[in-house]
Amino acid sequence: MLALKELIRRRLQFSLIALVITLIAYLILMINGLGVGLNQLAGSALWKLGGNAIAYAEEAEISIIRSELGIEALNALKNQPEIDHVAALGYLAVNIGGEAEGTNLRSAALLSLNLDEQTTIEMPKIIAGRTLQSDNPEILASTEFLKDSGLSIGDEVLIQIRLGEWPFTIVGEVEAGMFFFQPTIFVDQLIWQDLKYGERVATTPIASVVLLSADNFEKLEIEGIDIVSKKEAFANIEGVAGQQSTVAALRVFGYLIGALVVGAFFYVLTLQKEAQLGVLKAIGASSTYLFFQVMTQTILISLIGIAVSVPLAWGTAEGLSKLPTRVPVAFEVETFVTTSIILVVMGIIGSLLSGSRIARVDPIIALGQQQ
Amino acid sequence: MTVVNPMLEVTALGKTYSSGSEKVHAVKEVSFTASSGEFIAIVGPSGSGKTTLLAMLGALLTPSQGEIQVNNQQIERLSAKKRTNYRKKNVGYVFQSNNLVPFLTAKENLLLISTIGGVKKNIAQNRATQLLEELGLSERANALATELSGGERQRIAIGRALMNRPDLILVDEPTAALDSERGERVVRSLIKEVKQRNVLGIMVTHDLAMANKADRVLEMKDGFLNELQESNN
Repeated sequence: MLALKELIRRRLQFSLIALVITLIAYLILMINGLGVGLNQLAGSALWKLGGNAIAYAEEAEISIIRSELGIEALNALKNQPEIDHVAALGYLAVNIGGEAEGTNLRSAALLSLNLDEQTTIEMPKIIAGRTLQSDNPEILASTEFLKDSGLSIGDEVLIQIRLGEWPFTIVGEVEAGMFFFQPTIFVDQLIWQDLKYGERVATTPIASVVLLSADNFEKLEIEGIDIVSKKEAFANIEGVAGQQSTVAALRVFGYLIGALVVGAFFYVLTLQKEAQLGVLKAIGASSTYLFFQVMTQTILISLIGIAVSVPLAWGTAEGLSKLPTRVPVAFEVETFVTTSIILVVMGIIGSLLSGSRIARVDPIIALGQQQ
Repeated sequence: MTVVNPMLEVTALGKTYSSGSEKVHAVKEVSFTASSGEFIAIVGPSGSGKTTLLAMLGALLTPSQGEIQVNNQQIERLSAKKRTNYRKKNVGYVFQSNNLVPFLTAKENLLLISTIGGVKKNIAQNRATQLLEELGLSERANALATELSGGERQRIAIGRALMNRPDLILVDEPTAALDSERGERVVRSLIKEVKQRNVLGIMVTHDLAMANKADRVLEMKDGFLNELQESNN
């Protein structure tokens, strides 16, 4: 095939184009990886917890910071036939440090577990140590928290809240992820009430939100409670919407620039080959045949660029994950697949420019052309 | 000269270009006939309209008036798609500067036209091998077009024009880039191919010495065509 032979025999020229496309694909992959990484920072803990919906206090307007739910709200949710399971979840932003002198303070997202609640909603998986004992000053720390702080199971820590310091012991490690851009730690619900409100009376809220496992939760109407999907809850985490729209804008610009660069390269190549294209048309080649050649080259070059950039981006993310400072770049297979498909499609769109040029090449130039 | 059962019949052919508000009549009232097995040379000074005439015969240009009939098929008003098909199936072109595809080998340049024409691969391979042999270029089959000498390239260009067994071979200044000895060899091989394959060959040239090797010489002057010489050989 003409396109393949040209690629092989003009490999230096096409290698340079492939290099540029590789760099663009790498850039776009890294932007997408940043989007995924930031998402994970924003709320991977939310995804790791079970349930498919989250109930908020109505006046909180889907903000976990402002939402407070009491025992009545929890019971109202439990009494709905559409709701299979519930799990109360408290949230508190805290500073935490080791007992030792001079230990740096770290911020963390403190979440509560209701140890008495019989629930089938999936809770964080304990990967080392043991679970919490009710009403004990113990914490379960996420892997991310232990890695960032250098603390380990058995260490004593101080949680700073409301101008006081509360001693705790790390009793286990959980696979829990991040929440509100902070590593997570878990305490018993009773302890959370103490930390957040300083008292436990009948009117003390028992949770910030309630995780639900329910069918058709959209149709539920409970006074004073808003129920939304986890996806909507995630999008409403403070800062997430702005961060995601920034990443999305970068991604769209990346794709557009990619399409323009691929289009420009192949357009210039087409311009350079106009004489040759005129000859091919003069000897009977149709515009469709010639455009098919350009399209084949565009797809192949895009695939080569992607094939090089994917391991490069993956390797970069691996390298960054080993840095002491957290760089939020992460990849999922889906990221690679969708990015690759979009890049090829954008390449094809870019090559349409060449297609229009090819269609306009007049074969008459073959009769006046010196090569 | 009147040809009985002509393969090509050109009647009152004209081409007018617009140049600003001016009209340029490049070809005026050209009529002639030609039959298979003939090799015709068209001579004339630059700007006389000979390349325009060749372009119209090869369906690269649409005439402003007149008719062109090739094997009883009217070609002057064909759609762009049908003109492409006509060129693919009926016309073999040899261009002034051969215009081979530079990144293809000699043989691949021949095979390319078969690929475009949709000829089966094995048939095309056999045909290319045969043509390379006949053109004395078997040993250069795998040389890139850029590695061939001027004469070799021109012979490959002739081979390319013959690949799909066209009825009409149109040749535009084939010796312009060659020295006289190589030019003569190229024209001789063209004539040989035309005779052997009983096709019609029409060559546009400045070179009267080369033109004299043709069966007939037609002269273009100011857009008009006159017969200069018949059956020289």
